[in-house]
Amino acid sequence: MESVDLSMTSAIKRAEKQKISDQRAAALRLKNNRLGMNIFQLSWIMAFVALIVVNWQLRFNYSQWPPAGVPPFDLFLPSAATLALLCSSVMVAQALKALRSGFAAAFLVKWRLAIGLGTLFMAIIVYEFLNVSDAAMATQYGNTFRLMTGFHFVHALAILAILCRVYQGARLGKYAGAEQDSWAVEGAAKLWHFVSFAWMLFYAVLYWIR
Amino acid sequence: MANNYGNRPSISPTTIVVAAVFLLVSVVGINWFTTFIPGIFPPQASAESKSVDELFFILMIVGGIVFFLIQGMLLISVIAFRARSGDTSDGPTHHGNMTLEIVWTIIPALVVIFLAVISFDVWNQNSAPKANVNMVNGGSIPINVIGARYAWTHTYETGRQTPDGDAIVINSGANLHTYIGQNVDLTLQTQDVIHSYWVPAMRVKQDLLPGDPLQGGRPTELRFTPIRIEGVEYPAEYPIVCAELCGDGHGRMRGAVIVYEDEAQFLEQFYEPAIHAILNPPADPVLRGELDIQNYICNSCHVLDSLGWTGATGPPLNGIADRAGERVPGQSAEEYIANSIWDSGAFRVPGYDQQMAAFGPNVVDAANVMTPEQLYAIVAYLCTQGEASDCDMENGVTAIPDAIMTVFAMDVDITFGMSDDARMDEAANAEDAEAAAESNAENDSA
Amino acid sequence: MATIAVPLGGQEARQEIETVRRPALSEYLRWSVDHKIIGVQYGVTALLFFIVGGALAMGIRLELWTPELDLMVSGAAYNSLFTMHGTIMIFLFIIPMWAAYGNFVVPLQLGAKDMAFPWLNAFAFWLIPPAGVVMLLGYFVSPAEAGWTSYPPLSTLFSGDGQTLWALGAHLLGLSSILGSINFIVTILNMRPPEMTIWRMPLLCWAVLATSIIAVMATPFLAGALTLLLLDRMTGTTFFDAAGGGDVLLWQNIFWFYSHPAVYIMVLPGMGVLSEVLAIHSRKPVFGYRMVGLSSMAIAIVGFTVWAHHMFTSLQPELRIPFMITTMIIAVPTGIKMFSWLGTIWGGKIRFTSAMLFALGFMSMFVIGGITGVMLAALPFDIHVHDTYFVVSHFHFVLFGGSVFAIYAALYHWFPKITGRMMDETLGRIHFVFTYFGFLITFFPMHIVGMLGMPRRVAVYDPAFTDFNRLISFAAFVLGFSTFIVLYNIVRSYFHGPIAGANPWRALTLEWATTSPPPPTNFHEDPIPYEDPYGYGTEAATAYIEAIDMAFDRRDPASAGAD
Repeated sequence: MESVDLSMTSAIKRAEKQKISDQRAAALRLKNNRLGMNIFQLSWIMAFVALIVVNWQLRFNYSQWPPAGVPPFDLFLPSAATLALLCSSVMVAQALKALRSGFAAAFLVKWRLAIGLGTLFMAIIVYEFLNVSDAAMATQYGNTFRLMTGFHFVHALAILAILCRVYQGARLGKYAGAEQDSWAVEGAAKLWHFVSFAWMLFYAVLYWIR
Repeated sequence: MANNYGNRPSISPTTIVVAAVFLLVSVVGINWFTTFIPGIFPPQASAESKSVDELFFILMIVGGIVFFLIQGMLLISVIAFRARSGDTSDGPTHHGNMTLEIVWTIIPALVVIFLAVISFDVWNQNSAPKANVNMVNGGSIPINVIGARYAWTHTYETGRQTPDGDAIVINSGANLHTYIGQNVDLTLQTQDVIHSYWVPAMRVKQDLLPGDPLQGGRPTELRFTPIRIEGVEYPAEYPIVCAELCGDGHGRMRGAVIVYEDEAQFLEQFYEPAIHAILNPPADPVLRGELDIQNYICNSCHVLDSLGWTGATGPPLNGIADRAGERVPGQSAEEYIANSIWDSGAFRVPGYDQQMAAFGPNVVDAANVMTPEQLYAIVAYLCTQGEASDCDMENGVTAIPDAIMTVFAMDVDITFGMSDDARMDEAANAEDAEAAAESNAENDSA
Repeated sequence: MATIAVPLGGQEARQEIETVRRPALSEYLRWSVDHKIIGVQYGVTALLFFIVGGALAMGIRLELWTPELDLMVSGAAYNSLFTMHGTIMIFLFIIPMWAAYGNFVVPLQLGAKDMAFPWLNAFAFWLIPPAGVVMLLGYFVSPAEAGWTSYPPLSTLFSGDGQTLWALGAHLLGLSSILGSINFIVTILNMRPPEMTIWRMPLLCWAVLATSIIAVMATPFLAGALTLLLLDRMTGTTFFDAAGGGDVLLWQNIFWFYSHPAVYIMVLPGMGVLSEVLAIHSRKPVFGYRMVGLSSMAIAIVGFTVWAHHMFTSLQPELRIPFMITTMIIAVPTGIKMFSWLGTIWGGKIRFTSAMLFALGFMSMFVIGGITGVMLAALPFDIHVHDTYFVVSHFHFVLFGGSVFAIYAALYHWFPKITGRMMDETLGRIHFVFTYFGFLITFFPMHIVGMLGMPRRVAVYDPAFTDFNRLISFAAFVLGFSTFIVLYNIVRSYFHGPIAGANPWRALTLEWATTSPPPPTNFHEDPIPYEDPYGYGTEAATAYIEAIDMAFDRRDPASAGAD
């Protein structure tokens, strides 16, 4: 008697499970993507931390930083670039919010703005990369600067390309407001926040911490 | 239902006997093994080696207890708790015991803290700076070690000077000379990659780290004090090896610590003769060259049977004088050899792709500084390495200085290194010549 | 009678059991997103590299038969032997081998239908063969010869193009490891059925979780270090060149910040395997399940604080002490595992299957590696034996006596699940005897030659050590031979082994609650895990196992024979 009861309960259970499994699959995919993205961010930021360690350890080979006879980097342009990147990151977040609220047109405008600001940031960084003084390049001050900005640039470029792809897709109406239907947008936004965060670390180490 | 659910683990009398025997064996075993400890170490040749070996003794006892405990439990388990044939039942459902788990967390923690404390103690004792290091004749002299692929070079800055005012630096090549009770304090520098200076008998080891030569490199320090070992005849010799991979000849990078019985023996057999040799080099440039060339690291890369060199990175020097005249068109044998030493990039022998280290009067590495006079002597020596030398052996005394003049526009003082008597003679001759010239001039003006 | 949930959908499977239904061999040679196919792809690739790495090791021992340079043309050629041996064994054998078992077993144990990111999973695997090829291509230029640690400036200013290829290959393998590990973490955290709570997870899953956390946090440092190495080699930067303001210790710091935790990446999954095998084959629950699971996490965390003990002879003296202390502390969680395993088999009913023999062999050998590990942490003693054969012996006790023994245990344990056929137990026992004694006699004497004064990585050595080295070489050849026994066993059993059935070991974890090999969807229906993954010895557990047998119409492997 007891065992019959048991098998019936489990049969009902099974049927229920079957019913909700399709909905659950989509939700699970989103959950996986989000967790995977978070772990990737946590993991890959360590590569940037490794370069900060490089910068720090090499400083100890010099009695002062920047090394004697090397003028410190100019602050104005990089700070402007940092501001542009931060605004870009905010724009990306705003755009995602707009998409979630169903404002597709506002999404496109904000996303475009974010790409524009990001491009401005990268243009300034390229300019800075190319204009490191010879005196700085003769020391690790310039060497680590190019290493860190270059490493960051490669990531920023790749992720900016992803932002552009998302923009393209959005213009074709590929993404809807529901969370499950706009993972590409959310993922791209998270990657772009990662770029901003990594840059904030580098900005502090390269320009402010002496 | 015949089952053993909930049974406690049972231990049969056989198992208890096995356990007791094993306990006995392990106590005897640890004891017995410790008697081998001197046999698995090199001789205890330094004060440091005593404390390191004592530390190992403690580690061995603690490790031995853990080893026998775990292997013993394993052995007992596989004997006592094996499934008898035909027994298909499960073991007792025993999930753990909090007390036991806490015990085997805390006891190992206490043990490693104990080991850390005694290790720290030994470390403090061994690494503490010592007063009166490198004492020779009542004074402290710097002793330097230079590591270069693949040879060690030891130099003693004696603090004395030659009559010409040059500092006397003894170069004892791959061997470090010291004596019982001397607090040795070495300054280590590398010329290329990371090496590691290890004297197993002294239980000391230190890496040599590349640094910026313009800022004096990145010297590291190594300290030890040789002690007497009963029943050993002095001077005694202990190997030095390179412990950090440095390339092709890493295994060949060896040397020896030569320990003298006391300072007197050290002075008599090594120190004073070495200074005497520097003050009174042989008059013959070939003999001088034979001594000089051994002060450099040439042996690390070249084969030269006359001196027992076995290096393989660079071209062999056997019979070099037979080939030297034909290597570069327009260069005489003397010019070629001199040029290859000071300007190693000028000509690369086919089949050898590594450029030789830089030698010359102005190079950054102190160990590679080579005066024109030393070059002269070394070329003179290398000119004898061959059956039918291309060098102008008839006029060796003038041909080589001429070659150095041609290639590097440098004057060679050929009285360099002559014995004091010969030098006096030369000087007297020169004075005579000068006096003659002066008197001539006076005569002219008159 | 207690409630026994027997939820296994074996009805469909019942019709299929007469033959073993395996994927076609061609499935394994192409891109596939099935975690079981990928697992086998990882495993076979790793085994192939194991053979290459083993052959290189034989070359090393042949050269060391005499104290002079004879087999190899130069010291540099010998250096490339051990460089490639180390690199292949670490990056192309042990780490991918654990990815193999992790891929095959973890989703099954969790009751999941697949990994969280199947495509990423396949991508991570397919990075490995090209990376291996890139590394081996070094043999056509000038192979890497700076050791697997590749210390600059030897690896920058004094090495040929093979070193560049080495760094590129290692870069790809690092990327593969990160991607694979992200996948494992997400799978373990998200893909469990609701009944599989975190405290019901089999301990292999705990170990893989800890391993993956280490891999994602540490491997980016390797990427950073290799990037600098490549820049120094190819673009003329001077990060490691003292003449340009660089620092050679920079490499050592960043490299070991990855490579010490990498040791735990290599051994933690082995510890997970041990917990499985010991419990199942001695028919007793894992002693102190929670502590065993948590100690994996403790090892993972403390493992990040010990890296500089690899630099005891180069670090500034005052920085050495803290690393000595952390290194000693890491012995504690390792000890917890060791004692818990002893508690597991204590009082059990031990079956001496090949898997169990290797698991017991692991315990007996790993303890030696653990003891010498604490000895090496003791700074004054380490100064003496640093970079000697003592260290070579220590890490082989950990990585061969530990990881490889566990890999063998796992092979004998899960081969039936992977292929549907049992391995030959007699050959397995012969293999164990040769491996155990071959290993012990190869590596134990290395402690002594190291202490007596033989540095590692030398082709020519003091003739006083000749006898020791001959003994070691002889035993190493026996050890090398033992590998062929297991390779033969794998091939033979794959075709002719007795049919395994779903649950040949009568285990409670979920990977056994499905056909062998499992269908593409892993389970015919949603599986319900037993309330206690190792709760052997209760009526409920026995009933659960019998239910599995009934559902899949178990045939006794002994009577089934080869078909």
